[in-house]
Amino acid sequence: MKKNRTLIFLFMAPTVICLLLMYVYPVLRTVAMSFFRVESVTADMGLWRFNGVDNYVKIFHNSGFIISLRNFLAIWIVGGVITLALSLLIAVILTSKIRFQGFFRAAIYLPNVISAVALATMWVQYIFNYDYGLLNQLVTFLGFDKVRWLGTDAKLWAMIAAFIYGSIGYYMLIYISGIEGIPTDLYEAATIDGASKGKQFFRITLPLLKGIIKTTITFWTINAATFYLWSKLFSPVQTEGSTIVPVIYLYDTVFGGKGVVERDAGAGAAVGVVLTLIIIAVYIVTDKLLKSSDLEY
Amino acid sequence: MKKLLSIVLVAVMVLALGCTAFADGTEITYWSMWNEGEPQATVIAEAAEAYEAETGVHVNIEWKGRDINTLLSAALESGEDFDLFDDDYTRIGQVYAPYTYDLTEMAEAAGYEGYACFNNQAIAWAGYLNSLPEQPNVGGVFYDKAAFETAGIEAAPATWAEFLDACAKLKDAGIDPLAQDDAYCNFTFYYHLVRYLGEDGIAELRENGGWADNEKAVQAVQDLIDLVNAGYLAEGAPDAYPSSQNKIGLGLAAMVVCADYVTAEVNANTGTEVDWGMFNYPTVEGGASADAYMGANSLAIPSYSEHAQEAFDFALFLTTGEWGQKLADDCHQIPADPTNECTSLPGAVETLLAAEKPMSWCGELNTHPAWQTMRDMFVEMFEGKYESGAEFCAAMDALYE
Repeated sequence: MKKNRTLIFLFMAPTVICLLLMYVYPVLRTVAMSFFRVESVTADMGLWRFNGVDNYVKIFHNSGFIISLRNFLAIWIVGGVITLALSLLIAVILTSKIRFQGFFRAAIYLPNVISAVALATMWVQYIFNYDYGLLNQLVTFLGFDKVRWLGTDAKLWAMIAAFIYGSIGYYMLIYISGIEGIPTDLYEAATIDGASKGKQFFRITLPLLKGIIKTTITFWTINAATFYLWSKLFSPVQTEGSTIVPVIYLYDTVFGGKGVVERDAGAGAAVGVVLTLIIIAVYIVTDKLLKSSDLEY
Repeated sequence: MKKLLSIVLVAVMVLALGCTAFADGTEITYWSMWNEGEPQATVIAEAAEAYEAETGVHVNIEWKGRDINTLLSAALESGEDFDLFDDDYTRIGQVYAPYTYDLTEMAEAAGYEGYACFNNQAIAWAGYLNSLPEQPNVGGVFYDKAAFETAGIEAAPATWAEFLDACAKLKDAGIDPLAQDDAYCNFTFYYHLVRYLGEDGIAELRENGGWADNEKAVQAVQDLIDLVNAGYLAEGAPDAYPSSQNKIGLGLAAMVVCADYVTAEVNANTGTEVDWGMFNYPTVEGGASADAYMGANSLAIPSYSEHAQEAFDFALFLTTGEWGQKLADDCHQIPADPTNECTSLPGAVETLLAAEKPMSWCGELNTHPAWQTMRDMFVEMFEGKYESGAEFCAAMDALYE
């Protein structure tokens, strides 16, 4: 069949134009903005003043941004390891023909259906509450002093724990779909050969889920980098060092915060660029470490 | 089928004509910072209906919520079609000023006076009157009158010594003296520092450091550390917002340092009607300032609005007289019209009228590059992690290295 170049162009044009206008242009504008002194995010380009890498110097000299990066790393590494490991463990258990499988799947996935606002409120106002919270009731029942779960030392970890609770179900479902795609005859053959359940997991399940694991790591990285709502809900009045994350810092830099009218869209753009570079770096490292194999599910 | 189609077409034409006729009347568009269902939104919607019945001007209200500040800059810069908006008056005065209407002549023509503290500040920032307060706020110490009565405190404390005396009496009466949530630790700290140094003195420290060498700064922090060590904070304080302030509604604590909206928050959160009193943050011996925090959510008009007069008239209709009183009563807020009565917090109007220069919300520190670390340190200080004012101030100086 003869190729009709005009027709191909016409069919592709709407998508290409949308992509250029809604994705490429904002990305290029943001990168360019990060090298200029710009007050308002929508300011006319004629008002931009070139200031080299000053925006990057500024954000890396601001304690808010440094703390936000540290918090991001804690969420990404500690939260990531716990969430992905627990999700995988639960997925393996729930695909091993245990009783009430459907119920457990639904119960563990349930927090994903509930609004994050309601979930965070439940954790902050009920579970972590100093006076009547579930955890402190347990602690006092065991004869210990009450703990300030939302004090400056513990607030980040409290937030991460709550976020993990709300995330496990989502990753569990991804792993379950991956595990269910692995042919059962592989496990049957391994069982006949005398392989234990542990060996089957490390020699069959894990290697064949490499692609899925890579995907979940990328998803988790994006989730951690764009972590916003939970931080806002754990510090509802104004941004706090214990819960600040890069996106919150970006928001405050671009729009100002409580009692702060100073705005710096250029510095905000620099934060966006740094975050993007982090996500790209994580993807490249993950891709190198978890090399794709021919056999994956 | 044809008949049915004809009927539908005729109906559409009639509707279109009706809409055209409606559009012939004046319509103003108001971008509101409130959310539908909030007490303020309910009063505003009713006021808009009453205004339309009186003047024939339809007010088209778009409820934008608190994130209106993320929309306004872009909207004003691009000349978006709206005639009235509200937001924090500090942003209106400083950020949106180039795009706001000069209300001076209209205000003079209407005989509008309002609060001098807000008007003067708006003029100082923008160069002209560019906003009308809709919800004024005042900071200070808010207390439960019943708790004071139980503890036998007859007069509101005016000095730090009297304040400590009141704390001791409250503690003896079995009531935790001061509620303190983590979200407002910076505010309490800043307030106390202002008493010793004034905002100008804080600005100097912000620029050059030297906290540990400044006796007044060290003393200010020491006062607060002594307050904590004396056990005058509510149990669990600094608690996660709003747990500690709610203790006033639950009868477990007596006072809180905040702005007046804390009273409505506590009442709503705890389902109680606390009999609130308020006094200015106590002064200290040899102190530099007795200023009180003052802020406002205000109304402003885009400079390019074609219905500026109608928008101004509606803003005045809403914030003064009968509707201004209703706004104050139904929303438990300070009236925007000083001739109205403040039913939720007696004395608040007088405090605002007497003030000349408002204290900012941590304004001299919150743009410091190490502000987030400072904020955490303020909370840690209330958590009892610092032994002395000198230790705390040395840690502050370390942030400048």
